[in-house]
Amino acid sequence: MIVPVGAVLALSAVLFGIGVFGFLARRNIILMLISVEVMLNAVNLSLAGFSRHLGELRGQILALFVIAVAAAEVGVGLGLVIALNRNRPGVSVADLTKLKW
Amino acid sequence: MTLLAATFYYMAAASVASALLAVTRKNPVHSMLWVLALFLHVAGIFLLLSAEFLAAVQVIVYAGAILVFYLFVVMLLDLPDEEARPRFGNHWPLAAAVGLCFPAVAWLARVETLAPFGAGLAPAATQKGAEGVAQGSLSAIGGALFGPFTLPFEMASLLLLAAIVGAVVLARRRAARS
Repeated sequence: MIVPVGAVLALSAVLFGIGVFGFLARRNIILMLISVEVMLNAVNLSLAGFSRHLGELRGQILALFVIAVAAAEVGVGLGLVIALNRNRPGVSVADLTKLKW
Repeated sequence: MTLLAATFYYMAAASVASALLAVTRKNPVHSMLWVLALFLHVAGIFLLLSAEFLAAVQVIVYAGAILVFYLFVVMLLDLPDEEARPRFGNHWPLAAAVGLCFPAVAWLARVETLAPFGAGLAPAATQKGAEGVAQGSLSAIGGALFGPFTLPFEMASLLLLAAIVGAVVLARRRAARS
């Protein structure tokens, strides 16, 4: 085995943590969506690692579905960003207080 | 250390570095270029894990389609004062702590810790078994997608259709009411 599965899982956890940090800390809604992409990539990495480790294809199939869902999420998310931007220019989530009671 | 293992550790280090740069750069376009570097390095790791089709899809869909979509939206929105605003909210140390929790949990859950309790990773597939399912070969993936995974596959197409319609409805300019 070329790549130890533990190293892949550790890399996946680190990347997921970076994505979580970016999602929680950034105030720019586009960068928050980018952080979600980083997290989804981390999950794909661990799925591919397990697929290799267990000698099964199911992990890779699941990763393909994750990629499809990521594409759908980006389409709807950026559509929302454009719709929000039309009402109120700017991408800072701190300004989006319309729904605040 | 073999050349392939060295390649893996380079890819891992480069993807962590580019992910960190991607979430911390001020300019959104710079962020996106770093995220592009991350996607390409992750595709390289997929190749090392003998998931060739996944690597191709990663480059085509993520680095090709999704990233171009993000860049288009940044270009459309025209954010001149974005670099002047603070990057992080005031609570960013808390966010960093939450982010560090994931590697910490992964470290705690490593195989050596779990082994005394009889838990841990399943044993690796034997090399023969791994060869038997023809890892990563396109025909095997296609056979699985149109065999046992037909229903999820169709659901994914339905989801993408719903996302297309939703994006058009959300981003459409409303006709003037008056």
